[in-house]
Amino acid sequence: MIVPFNHVLILAGLLFLMGIFCVVARRSLIMILLGVEVMLNAAAILLVGASLRWQNLDGQAIVLFVFAIAAAEVSVGLALIVWAYRRTGSINPENYNILK
Amino acid sequence: MEFTGFPFLTAILLACVAGLFVILVIPEQRQAQIKWVSAVFSGITLILSVYLFFAYDKSQGGLQFVEKIPWVESIGITYLNAADGFNLPMLLLTGIVFFTGVLTMWELDHRVKEFFALYFLLVTGVFGLFMSMDLFFIFVWYDVSLFPMYLLIAIWGSTRKEYGAMKLTLYLLAGSALILPAIIYLYVQAGLNTFDLTLLMRPGTFSPFEQKFAFIFLFIGFGILAAVWPFHTWSPVGHVAAPTPVSMVHAGVLMKIGAFGVLRVGIFLCPEGWQYWAPLMAVLAAIGIVYGAFVGLSQTDLKYCIGYSSVSHMGIVGLGLATVSVDGLNGAVFQMFAHGIMTALFFSAIGYIYDRTHTKKIDELGGLSRIMPVASTYFIVAALAGIGVPCLASFWGELMVFIAAFKTYPLWGTLAVCALVVSALFMLRVVQRTFYGPKNEKYAHIPDVSFGQGLPRMILLAVLVIFGLFPALMFDMIETASIPFMNGLP
Amino acid sequence: MITNWLSEPSLTAAILATLLPFAAFILIMVFTRKYPRLSAGLSIAAVGISLISALFLLVRHWHLQTPLEYTGRWLLSGDVAVPFGYLLDQTSLLMLSVVATISFLVQVYSLGYMAGDAGFSRYYACMSLFAWAMMSMTLSPTMLQLYIFWELVGLASYLLIGFWYEKFSATEAGKKAFVMTRFGDVAFFLGLLLVLVHLGNLNVLEMNGPQVATRMSSTYITIAALLIFGGIIGKSAQFPLLTWLPDAMEGPTPVSALLHSATMVAAGVYLFGRLFPFFSQSAAAMAIFLMIGTVSMLLASTMAMVSRDIKQVWAYSTISQLGFMIMGLAAGSYFAGMFHLTTHAGFKALLFLCAGVFIHSFESNDMFDIGRQGGRRLKIPMACTIIAAAALAGLPPLSGFFSKEVILGALAELNNPLWLAAGLLGAFLTAYYTFRLIFIILFPRQSGAESESGHGHDHGGYWVMGWPLIVLAAITVLLGFFQGALEAFFSGQQGIPVAGAGHHGWLPFAAIGLALGGVLLAWLEFGRQGADQVGFVEKIAPLNHLFAQRWYIDRFYRRFMDVFIYGVVSNLFTRNDKKVIDGGLDGLSQATVETGRLVSLLHRGMVQYRLLTIFVVLVFLGLYFFI
Repeated sequence: MIVPFNHVLILAGLLFLMGIFCVVARRSLIMILLGVEVMLNAAAILLVGASLRWQNLDGQAIVLFVFAIAAAEVSVGLALIVWAYRRTGSINPENYNILK
Repeated sequence: MEFTGFPFLTAILLACVAGLFVILVIPEQRQAQIKWVSAVFSGITLILSVYLFFAYDKSQGGLQFVEKIPWVESIGITYLNAADGFNLPMLLLTGIVFFTGVLTMWELDHRVKEFFALYFLLVTGVFGLFMSMDLFFIFVWYDVSLFPMYLLIAIWGSTRKEYGAMKLTLYLLAGSALILPAIIYLYVQAGLNTFDLTLLMRPGTFSPFEQKFAFIFLFIGFGILAAVWPFHTWSPVGHVAAPTPVSMVHAGVLMKIGAFGVLRVGIFLCPEGWQYWAPLMAVLAAIGIVYGAFVGLSQTDLKYCIGYSSVSHMGIVGLGLATVSVDGLNGAVFQMFAHGIMTALFFSAIGYIYDRTHTKKIDELGGLSRIMPVASTYFIVAALAGIGVPCLASFWGELMVFIAAFKTYPLWGTLAVCALVVSALFMLRVVQRTFYGPKNEKYAHIPDVSFGQGLPRMILLAVLVIFGLFPALMFDMIETASIPFMNGLP
Repeated sequence: MITNWLSEPSLTAAILATLLPFAAFILIMVFTRKYPRLSAGLSIAAVGISLISALFLLVRHWHLQTPLEYTGRWLLSGDVAVPFGYLLDQTSLLMLSVVATISFLVQVYSLGYMAGDAGFSRYYACMSLFAWAMMSMTLSPTMLQLYIFWELVGLASYLLIGFWYEKFSATEAGKKAFVMTRFGDVAFFLGLLLVLVHLGNLNVLEMNGPQVATRMSSTYITIAALLIFGGIIGKSAQFPLLTWLPDAMEGPTPVSALLHSATMVAAGVYLFGRLFPFFSQSAAAMAIFLMIGTVSMLLASTMAMVSRDIKQVWAYSTISQLGFMIMGLAAGSYFAGMFHLTTHAGFKALLFLCAGVFIHSFESNDMFDIGRQGGRRLKIPMACTIIAAAALAGLPPLSGFFSKEVILGALAELNNPLWLAAGLLGAFLTAYYTFRLIFIILFPRQSGAESESGHGHDHGGYWVMGWPLIVLAAITVLLGFFQGALEAFFSGQQGIPVAGAGHHGWLPFAAIGLALGGVLLAWLEFGRQGADQVGFVEKIAPLNHLFAQRWYIDRFYRRFMDVFIYGVVSNLFTRNDKKVIDGGLDGLSQATVETGRLVSLLHRGMVQYRLLTIFVVLVFLGLYFFI
């Protein structure tokens, strides 16, 4: 293997953490969605690396599914954000507090 | 099912409930009809309670007029009413205060139907508590009498009524929150699977530790209702905020429920706990007596004055209960009755003045005696009763309590007696500022009390004087219960 | 209860004497408020029958050897039995007669004095209340009953002092009287409780009997005696509770005559006499009583010397004479105190009633005014005043002379000559201030300003006010000669230790001499032509102030009340209630509400916090399960 599996693990882990950070610490709904995308891509990288490690093509097949689902999820999410922005005039999650 | 003769006690309760339903059925606009119906039904309860008081066989003593219907057998709840020397004075008191309260509110014109309906509900709870001998029902009636208070004060009250209503209700609920665990604790520890007081009362049911533990909760819980210092501050605020007949019931009867609860539940079930905690009771009571008198000295609102005077007098009741003696018990129960009547007269008199002058501030009143001599007389006689002038009922209660207290706790007894001077000073000062003095032109047009309006006050005054001159009528009754009780203690 | 009361004439008489005024009180208050003449008639009829019953009892039991006691059970509570009834013995019968006589005469007098007053019916109702309470008190067989009626007498006093309630000063005076006597009553009650705890009951005969010494240690007896004396100090206006009595002069003059000279304030002295054997058991207590009596007597005399108000002078004089009576009793002579009580009732009531005529006619209490307006031209009151004043000063052959002699004789028996000296000084001062007043009225300056309008009042009432004066004057003159009879009467009284009868032949002459000296000094300063009518004390300004301000006792009480009671204690407790207790509670409820607010933060709609929580939990779960 050209790239040692450990490096793949570390890369995927770092990317995942960055994704979490983006979800949690940014004051924008779109950034939350971006963060979720990053987390998904990190999982995809890990799956490809795992497929290479154990010489099984199933991992790469899963990644194709993940891309499809990610695309669908992002479009639905963005549509919701657009609607929510039209309702409340803001994409800052702090303003979504009627339940308080 | 067990009834000895005609179920008088349930009849009283039924009269209240029936009155309540009849009032609910009458349309809102027919105010006069509502008032007459209230008068009739409250009169029925008065007649029944008077009859019971005199029909009780004093030579036989014990529990009479027993009514027993098992209700929820699996847990042991019974509908059990009985009359004995302790609760008959209280029933009589409630009957008198109820009837005179209805008459006092005769001129109400704002939401009459709801008022009388709630008032009937309130008194049902009170009656029920006094006559019940089942712990569960005692607790239920306590809460039944509590909730109407909130509405009555919040809607028909005056000064700071929302605050007063909220404070009173929450405080008293806190009291009941202390009582309920104690009751459940006793129920579980007894292991008899019954809430029936007469069965739980037998000696040996509870260990001394259990008694001491439960008693303090019961004492504080019921004591909050009895305005034991330092849990008394709901009382003056509540007195001031409440409308007149509600104040009459509140100070006259509700506070007695507290003391009576201590007696009926605490002392009956946990006599050793009582004896253990008695010194604490005495200290708190003595402080309450002196404290109430001194704070009353600085008040500028008539009802606040009477409120603090009530705290002081309930302290006397507490002191009597703390002496663990026959004299103390007799004095305490008599004082409960006498103070109830006296304070009902106070509020009734103030009610008339407030309705006409629209102020309770002493600074704004003055010189009323020339304008309305009869109304002033009622208040002045009540004030004299508050001071402890002989020939009015409250003297005898105080006398017995002081004698008993002096024998058991000489120091606190002395302190309590000294408070007599302060209470004289404060009451006479109130009388002087409000009634004496040059004729107040602002109120010169106000008519004096007419005969009909004066009727409830006359009844109260007559009761005060009758029991003041012939205290044996009441003491003989109380003794039939207190002497056997004290003798039966280990 | 008392059965067959009709069969025992003594009991019947006692019941009539005491209960008829009560019936009158109730009837007047409830029914006849609008009919003044009927009210007055009811009241006077009741007290008249009381008088007849009292005299009947006195005569019937003149040679009583053992006391008669009738009691019935009024109340029984546990260990405490409260009997109600009558104790007929020499002390109570004599006092009853005194009270009944003076009450009757004063009520008749009031027909004229209070005529036309708006509260006429109420006045007679309160008078009947007083008569009932006072007479029941004198006949009480137990201390508890006595205490009950003692309080009721105080109540009647309060109602009557503040009778003209539209005057602020009157209601202030009434309140002051009640509260001050209440102070004394608290001590009284505590003393009774102490006795009750040790002795088991409060029967008067038992308290006076020999068992007391066995049941109570002497310390307790002394303490109980001192406490009970507290009640006497309050009721009889002795030092230090003496300032309510001069203020009580705000009430109508007949009230002053009846309550605050002859009967109610004498109740304290009566109590002393009633419990004389009990008190005698403690020599320490008797010594203290003697001191208090002496101090009161001298203080009040000094205050009387500078007063301008005719009623105030007599009020101070009453305090002084009561002190004198207490001195006599405390010196160990029962008869001295009781005899002076009787004679004093007669002439002091007379003095007040005469003053009432002056005040009614000239509408002024000031003695200089009365003199200027022609007081001396009212013949009967002036003559009666002079007779009564002479009795007060102790001039023979009037009753006052005889009774003062007995007291001075008792004082002479004591080891310490100080007391006798004080007594003689008191006699001198009494004569001085009494005749100061007489001379000011008799010989006014600027007599050219005599007003004719002084008689613009109801003359029809004049004869009604006149003949009680004459009756009392006759009593004053004659009573002294009954000393021997009374002494024999009292010798039958049970339990009285026999007083040593010393012979002090020089004593009467010394007393007369001092009295005449006082009169002479008063004459020199006030009576004779060209005198400036300013007393020797009034010339010394600081002394004048001291006496006029009642030795600043009032000021002291006022400061004490304002600073300590209102300012410190009441204020402290009120603030405690508002800030500490209520503050604590309100704070508790505030805290609950704030906690709710804090907890509700958990429900903020911030998605990201929830997501963060999910991640953290998942990490921990992962660590937990896989490591």
